[in-house]
Amino acid sequence: MKAVRGLMAVAGMVLVGASAGAYAQDNDLYEKAKSEGNVTLYSATDTAQVQSMIDAFKAKYPGIEVDYNDVGPEGTFNRVISEAAANQVGADLVWSSAMDRQMLLAQQGLFEAVELPEAKAIPDWGNFKNVLYATSVEPIGIIFNKNVLAEDKVPTTRAELIAYMKSDEAKDKVAALDPERSPSGFQFDTNDAKTTDNFWDVVAAFGAAGGKTYTSNGPVKESIDSGENALAFNIIGSYAIEWAKSSPSLGVMFDKERTAAFSRVIGFTKGAPHPNAGKLFLNFLLSQEGQAELARNGLPSVRTDIDASIGFDFDSINERVGGHMQPIPLDETLVTDMDNAKRAEFLTKWRDLVRNGG
Amino acid sequence: MSVNSQTVEETARSSDRSLAHQAVPVRWASRVGDAVWYRRIVIGLLALAVLAPIALLVYQSFLDNPFFQANAKLSFSAYSYVLSDRAFYEALRTTLVVSAGITVLAVPCGAVLAFLLNRTDLKGKSIFEIIVLVPMFISAIVLAFGYTVSIGPAGFLSLLVKGQIGRVPWDIYTVSGIVLVGAASHIPYAYLYVSAAMRNLPSDLEEAARTAGASVWRVLWDVTLPLVFPALVFVTALNLLLGFEMFGLPLILGDPKGITVLTTYILKLSTLFGVPVFQMMAVVALVIVLLTLPMVFLQRHLLRNSRRYAAIGGKGSRATPLRLSTTSQVVAIAFICLWIFFAVVLPVGGIVLRTFVNAWGVGVNVFQHLTLAHIAGLLNVPSLKRGVIDTILLSTVGAGLAVCIYMAIGLAGHRNRGASNVVLDYMILLPRAIPGLIIGLAFYWLFLFIPFLQSLRQTLVSIFIAYTIVGLSYGFRLLQSLLLQISPELEESARTTGATIGQTWRDVIIPITKPGLFGAWILIMMLFIRDYATGVYLLTSGTEVIGSLMISLLATGAMDTIVALAFVSIVLTAVALGLAIKLGVKVDA
Amino acid sequence: MPELVVENIHKWLGNLHILKGVSVSSEKGSVLALLGASGSGKTTLLRCIAGLVQPEMGRIRIGSSVVFDHEKRTAAAPEKRNIGLVFQSYALWPHRTVRENVGYGLKLRGVARPEMDRRIQNILDRLGLGHLADRYPDQLSGGQQQRVAICRALIYEPHVLLLDEPLSNLDAKLREEARYFIRNLIRELELCAILVTHDQAEALAVADQILLLQDGKNVQQGTPTEIYQRPGSFYAADFLGSNNVFEGTVDTAGAGVRIFGDDWSLNGVKMDASVSSSAKGRAVVRVENISVHLDEAHDRVRMDLEDCLYLGDRWEYRLTLGGLHAKATGKFALPAGTVFAEIPPESVWIYPQA
Repeated sequence: MKAVRGLMAVAGMVLVGASAGAYAQDNDLYEKAKSEGNVTLYSATDTAQVQSMIDAFKAKYPGIEVDYNDVGPEGTFNRVISEAAANQVGADLVWSSAMDRQMLLAQQGLFEAVELPEAKAIPDWGNFKNVLYATSVEPIGIIFNKNVLAEDKVPTTRAELIAYMKSDEAKDKVAALDPERSPSGFQFDTNDAKTTDNFWDVVAAFGAAGGKTYTSNGPVKESIDSGENALAFNIIGSYAIEWAKSSPSLGVMFDKERTAAFSRVIGFTKGAPHPNAGKLFLNFLLSQEGQAELARNGLPSVRTDIDASIGFDFDSINERVGGHMQPIPLDETLVTDMDNAKRAEFLTKWRDLVRNGG
Repeated sequence: MSVNSQTVEETARSSDRSLAHQAVPVRWASRVGDAVWYRRIVIGLLALAVLAPIALLVYQSFLDNPFFQANAKLSFSAYSYVLSDRAFYEALRTTLVVSAGITVLAVPCGAVLAFLLNRTDLKGKSIFEIIVLVPMFISAIVLAFGYTVSIGPAGFLSLLVKGQIGRVPWDIYTVSGIVLVGAASHIPYAYLYVSAAMRNLPSDLEEAARTAGASVWRVLWDVTLPLVFPALVFVTALNLLLGFEMFGLPLILGDPKGITVLTTYILKLSTLFGVPVFQMMAVVALVIVLLTLPMVFLQRHLLRNSRRYAAIGGKGSRATPLRLSTTSQVVAIAFICLWIFFAVVLPVGGIVLRTFVNAWGVGVNVFQHLTLAHIAGLLNVPSLKRGVIDTILLSTVGAGLAVCIYMAIGLAGHRNRGASNVVLDYMILLPRAIPGLIIGLAFYWLFLFIPFLQSLRQTLVSIFIAYTIVGLSYGFRLLQSLLLQISPELEESARTTGATIGQTWRDVIIPITKPGLFGAWILIMMLFIRDYATGVYLLTSGTEVIGSLMISLLATGAMDTIVALAFVSIVLTAVALGLAIKLGVKVDA
Repeated sequence: MPELVVENIHKWLGNLHILKGVSVSSEKGSVLALLGASGSGKTTLLRCIAGLVQPEMGRIRIGSSVVFDHEKRTAAAPEKRNIGLVFQSYALWPHRTVRENVGYGLKLRGVARPEMDRRIQNILDRLGLGHLADRYPDQLSGGQQQRVAICRALIYEPHVLLLDEPLSNLDAKLREEARYFIRNLIRELELCAILVTHDQAEALAVADQILLLQDGKNVQQGTPTEIYQRPGSFYAADFLGSNNVFEGTVDTAGAGVRIFGDDWSLNGVKMDASVSSSAKGRAVVRVENISVHLDEAHDRVRMDLEDCLYLGDRWEYRLTLGGLHAKATGKFALPAGTVFAEIPPESVWIYPQA
């Protein structure tokens, strides 16, 4: 009797194992991760936005502490290179909104390629040699103050934007991130310069309107929220959509013709202190469950299988912005713009138009 | 009992004989029993803690890449870049303009305020004496946000005015805006020192002028101010120094129009290049040090000649006060109330209001949007909750430990006749000349690369050490003055009774200073609460404090959280300030 | 053997030569007073003995150990010298009770608690402070504080007891009692005491030996009577007592010594061997040594009484003799006019001009 039961048990296990091949690997990884006990991340994403995702991970894989450090895009970059030099690698995963810097780190060999089951669901433009993964796709758009600028007057194309900024009512009431001081500002602006033909016209109009520039999103949002500024462009749309939920005065608009989108990029550190936990977490982050939690908190998923009642995924966000979303591809062209000479040239041109005349 | 009575002659002859042997005596001082080793070790450790970050900065400035990168070579490229960068000179010019502007405004206002509260019979002196110091204790970054929220282009007050006259007649996002706001919050520094100098003036000189027919204001100009001239020079140097180090105000108020000062130029550099350019940041930091060091030395020199304190809520001047006419009283009180409104009520009120509303500005009735959500949010996010708790921990326990450290250093320098005292003097000054942001960065490097420090990097210990160094100048002066208040005879009588110097410290000095130590603890507590720049580079999970959280949250636009944190910071400061007033703590800037 | 030996102490403060080779010694059971004007170096000397100040040159021995020797480069710290120092301001520790103040010396020397308590109570009782043991210094009067300071310095039986102007902070009435009391205590306990004072009455009353200092040098050392009655220099003579000073020319021809002016002449004694004939000189006559009479006698000098002033316990007479002006005292008022003053030659002390 015992033997039969034992056999049945084994058979059962084999069956279960066979039906979820990936899951069996997962289990193995989980055990190893549990013995490591901790996964550490350096990130540039607000803790509040990822809290539910972290909680879901901990619920699914108990016994693993998640050490989440929101140190900002510069912080992530600084830490990775200085820790690598000091042989004091502190993070398993590095997750940043500065796509170009992540690419730079990858090129310097500070990340390691990882093969993960869930990687299959990530589109090609969002997977750089299994070293860097895009974890979200966030459209870039315009935020405006509903009380100052009526919804029907808000520009919906770049040409309309230029026309609006040239008008009198836009004087001293437009804002944007400063590419000199804001990494995402620089990223979006250089992307625009590459992929559109009227970027410098936009900048010129911005300068002529006495455009105000900011180092970070906080003050931009405040200025729109309060009506100090009527409109700000090249703002992270996913943030904007979230802000609009709690700020009645704030509205969001996307370009009908083409909407750029950036992604938060994650990499697995070379010499990670808890490699198995890191891989497990990364896999979870890319899985439907993890992505759903991110989407729930306003970070649209890069996958296409998220329930619309939870949040946006690639398809639904594309629809929301008018169907012409153009994500910034995760490739080496991101770095060619980091060349000092090109950088200085871009910024000088920008500065001249916005600060000195325009 | 059989000693001979000597005549003058004999005595003179014998001493002449002995003097004939040596023309000039060889001076030697035995320092047996003077705790020489204790002094040397403590001051040596201090020198190490102060010079290590500076040495690292200097070294880094002469490299062409971050020092830990394999391809870093010695080079002047960082210097040549910075010194030929137009933006650098613009930032330098702006820094000089802002610093000078603040000094020109704050010093006279502070002097007049000191005069009114010390030498005249102004009504309400006792209340004013407490309130006028408040701006000093509020964190600059909290102030900056507070001004944005209250008198920014869409601030509460601005919109009120706009509703009346159709436009907002001011703009705080300008150099003059920064100067005005900065001056308002720097007046207490001028007030404090001039007040201390005026407190001890005898009143007969002023009274003579009065009886000769001079009005109170003429007395101020012709008699009182000249008498406190050294104090005026001192506060001018102090305000210039503070102007150079300003970071929070220009960070927020200079942002929209791209106004940069040296400290914010440092931040800008790394974004400019896309990669960290620590070498250039080090160059700018050293430029700031070179500019501020002379002012720090000047202060030290001036401070030597006159040291006094102003007590919070203490009694007014002992001298007979000058009588103010009723018009003068009214004008003076109006002037003070106006300044307090501008320097305290506006920013603090702005923060408090903004914390509890979720929409404001054009076309919004704030009272329809009251909420507790922002505060609640603090409790829900672990890193924020940790930040609040860590700030409280650091400023209570941490400040207490810092006081012990400053006391140990104070004792090392107490009646120290050795050469180590000169070293101590300079070590105390150096950190004062470096912006807190850079000290934090330098300590981040030290904690990263020095083996036995590495395990501490991600604990509050790293922040604690950085804060202790940043507060060194202030803390040491506090402790030193406590120690100097003890009459030397109390120590000498212990020694002659048989106590070694160590026992004297233990049984006489430390017990007597105990009440003063509480005051010092509270002042250091307030210093730690309001610090924001030092922890920025050290920020990681486990080292969050309110100040650096606020700065890092700027990037994600979480203004609600930032304001809620600012509110908590204000509450903590108010509690500490209340304690200080209750204990009658003497305040030194 | 003397308990305290001080040899050839030189002390500079910056470029100021404060002590210029002072030597002195003192025995057990005696009081040595360091007397002098302010700036004479007396307090500095005391602090050198205590070890609070280090001289540049010289040698100091306390008891059987040499605590300072500049040739051997030894200087013992104050706590190692086994001295007691009573400060002018008493320097009682404000945060400790009288008992704790007094007992500190014993505590440092590791005396067991019961023994310590016993000795504290003993000495407090002896000085009349037994009931104040648990008070704090700010609850005591000046006189009580002084006695506590003395207890504190005595209780561990130091080799040498140093007192820095111990009576100057007391009011006049207390002072007189206090100095009697200190003198007796020191004699009774057989201490070697060094007392610094600028008050000559105190020095004369309390001391067994006085060292008069001027400008960092010994002027004269001797018993109070020696110094008062046989001062060896003009400075010593004028420092003590209340005096008449007459300036004139000295004449040593003839049987005795004489000092004279244009219209006056007095017989006196040479106190300094360097007084020479026909040279300028100064004579010091103590006021109490002149007695004034209305009737003439052969050794009395005819003088004019200008005025007399009432001082309560006596009358002060203002006298002139030609160009000479003098003061004297007496029990009665006298009419202005001619009087006869008795000025014994042995009380006219003649010194050379400065």
